Amino acid sequence: MIFNTFIYYIAFLLPSATLYRLMPRRFAPWVIVLFGSGFFVYFAWQMAGLWGAACLFIFLWESIVSRLYRPGSRWCFFGIVQSLVLLGIYKYWNFFTDHLFFHHQNPIHWRGQFLPLGISFFTFEFFHYAWDRRAAKTEAGSLGEYLAFILFFPTMVAGPIKRYQDFLPKLRAECVNWSNDWERGFSRILTGLVKKFAIADLMTAWTDHLNMRDIAIAHRWALPLWLLAYGVKIYADFSGYSDIAIGSAKLFGIAVPENFDWPYGRRNIQRFWQCWHISLTRWLTDYVFIPLGGSRVATWRIYFNVIAVMFISGLWHGAGVNFIVWGLLHGVMLAVHRAWRTFKPAPSLDPLVVFLSRVSTFVLVSAAWSFFCMDIHTALFFWRRLIGG
Amino acid sequence: MLKRFRDIIEYLAGEREITSLHNPPSFLAGRHEWMLRTLLWICAVVLIYAFCGQSSKFIYIDF
Repeated sequence: MIFNTFIYYIAFLLPSATLYRLMPRRFAPWVIVLFGSGFFVYFAWQMAGLWGAACLFIFLWESIVSRLYRPGSRWCFFGIVQSLVLLGIYKYWNFFTDHLFFHHQNPIHWRGQFLPLGISFFTFEFFHYAWDRRAAKTEAGSLGEYLAFILFFPTMVAGPIKRYQDFLPKLRAECVNWSNDWERGFSRILTGLVKKFAIADLMTAWTDHLNMRDIAIAHRWALPLWLLAYGVKIYADFSGYSDIAIGSAKLFGIAVPENFDWPYGRRNIQRFWQCWHISLTRWLTDYVFIPLGGSRVATWRIYFNVIAVMFISGLWHGAGVNFIVWGLLHGVMLAVHRAWRTFKPAPSLDPLVVFLSRVSTFVLVSAAWSFFCMDIHTALFFWRRLIGG
Repeated sequence: MLKRFRDIIEYLAGEREITSLHNPPSFLAGRHEWMLRTLLWICAVVLIYAFCGQSSKFIYIDF
């Protein structure tokens, strides 16, 4: 949805990118603000009605508060807490309160719960700005520039997660080389759409079987093939999405971070995470792993930090026990890999070992997808059927 | 060899600039490169048209 609709290209992307390039520089951020607001209201309304569209006020409120951020100021701390509270309430309220009132009716269940469009991503950008302003790692910029940063619609819904200090110089730069940017941008958008339609959607014929009923009656050897299809699908789907986002940004002449670098076929789980959803991995490293002490603490704390980061990553991907298990599985794999590296610091160059490590990493990543694409009961049943027959 | 193949694929997919390629092959840097690009765009549009309509949802972005 959104990136594979005509309205996105006709009403938002093409007019805004054209106008952005034609406008004098000082007005250019406001073109993004105008079209970004229209984009949010239009698609949020379609998804969650009036209340969804009204969430545009979150951006306006954040932009006002952001003007108070100063290096070392308490307002930055307020901004950090605010972004976490927003994410917590909208995304996790029912998940946590339902577990709090386990086996009982939840008296504070939010019946009409909805997710504001792109909340998991824009709250991370709010958090990053408040944190980096507090640490004096970025300049404030003008109100228009900050609004353009948070309302830049090609990356608003699902990233790649940008950094203000990278975005600002591109926003201020003169737009040159229009024809090259548009040729590269359209090539990238078409690549993304091909990945989505011709690969990801094609896999649906297999991945639709990943439910309790079909797993119960299927031949057990079909199960890993369905899971493999899911691995292909999610990669083509999300990297296709990222291609469209990056290509769309290119039409403005703005380069946003890459999200994928051929993650399947990497030789260990650490390399996989350095190449899969790169902007998220970097965000988690900078704002969770390093503040927890990173690698400069006692050995047991390093392992704890790695698993904690992946726990948060799992929970961020979805409010469900299965996502937590998926994150923890990756955390344990990363911790085991780190422990292995202490015993054998230099990776082997033997081609057979390299090949086997690539294959085993791919198999482990694919196996872990089972907890990503199915709820916890279905995933456990999947493994009981696969192993026990 | 594999790296070069990968770089070319990434260029054709719009991920790289031609200047980032080391010794770009003549079919990418020559005068008739636009023909290859046009052909690729036509192929992409045909593929999109042929396979669209199966699903309308990106599965990774419901959050």
